[in-house]
Amino acid sequence: MATQKSILNESRDIERAISLIKLGARLQVLEYETSLSYERLLRLYKEVAGKSPSKGQLPFSTDWFLTWQPNIHASLFLNIHEYLSKTSELEEIDTVIKAFRLYTEQMTASAIEPLLSVTRAWRMVKFVDNGMLTLTKCSCCGGSFVTEPYENARQFVCGLCEPPARAGKGSAAGGLRLH
Amino acid sequence: MDSEQLLAEIREANLTYLMLAQNLIRKDRAEALFRLGVSEEAADLLVMLSTAQLLKIASSNMLLCRFRVDDDLVWNLLTSHNVKKVDNTTTTQLHASILMAGKYAESMTAAH
Repeated sequence: MATQKSILNESRDIERAISLIKLGARLQVLEYETSLSYERLLRLYKEVAGKSPSKGQLPFSTDWFLTWQPNIHASLFLNIHEYLSKTSELEEIDTVIKAFRLYTEQMTASAIEPLLSVTRAWRMVKFVDNGMLTLTKCSCCGGSFVTEPYENARQFVCGLCEPPARAGKGSAAGGLRLH
Repeated sequence: MDSEQLLAEIREANLTYLMLAQNLIRKDRAEALFRLGVSEEAADLLVMLSTAQLLKIASSNMLLCRFRVDDDLVWNLLTSHNVKKVDNTTTTQLHASILMAGKYAESMTAAH
């Protein structure tokens, strides 16, 4: 990537960083997606969020996206993301930001706890880019769901058409219920 | 309701729809394409319409916005009607949202 010092690019980066911080992104996402220095991002984070960013590694496993409830959230987000990236020519990170906003909007409208964080959503898009996760069509309803890349497309049935035995039994408020 | 009143209501619905569509597209084109479910070409046309054109197009005996759900399955999910395994309204609506969000993306890839 050309690292030309342009004030316009910098202002765009700052704007993106602010949107991401407001959505609750971790500092690693900002470091990856903008060319702003760590020190400046840290200062920006404190200014926007009013607190220090949380520390520690990012979640690195694809397993989370494949468990029943998270999978439904992840699939909705990824479908929106695909929709946007196919109909509009946006920079990758802007697609993530817009898709995430649309996803949380839908969660608020349905009064469901948004399980997917922007950091997780961003991470998932990277997993998909690297072929570690993909969208597979459910053979029953025809919807696209997040799966492992080697899922058998002919037999695949999504978690909403064929919920697993323990699904929807959790006691957490705002969780998905079957009945 | 006499037909004159019906026509007035159709015109009003058309006008509301067209104005909302224009507002959405002007505010954020990418988001608007998702929310409206219209093609890029349609969005480009819509956004260029003047108020006079808008009024003219709205005055018709046909509604301009079309039903987005053209699939029995999605419709059943949205209304929680005729579903067996999952009958929770929120969950079935979420299922419908996933199916609807997946719809246009597919037809676009097929077209290219």
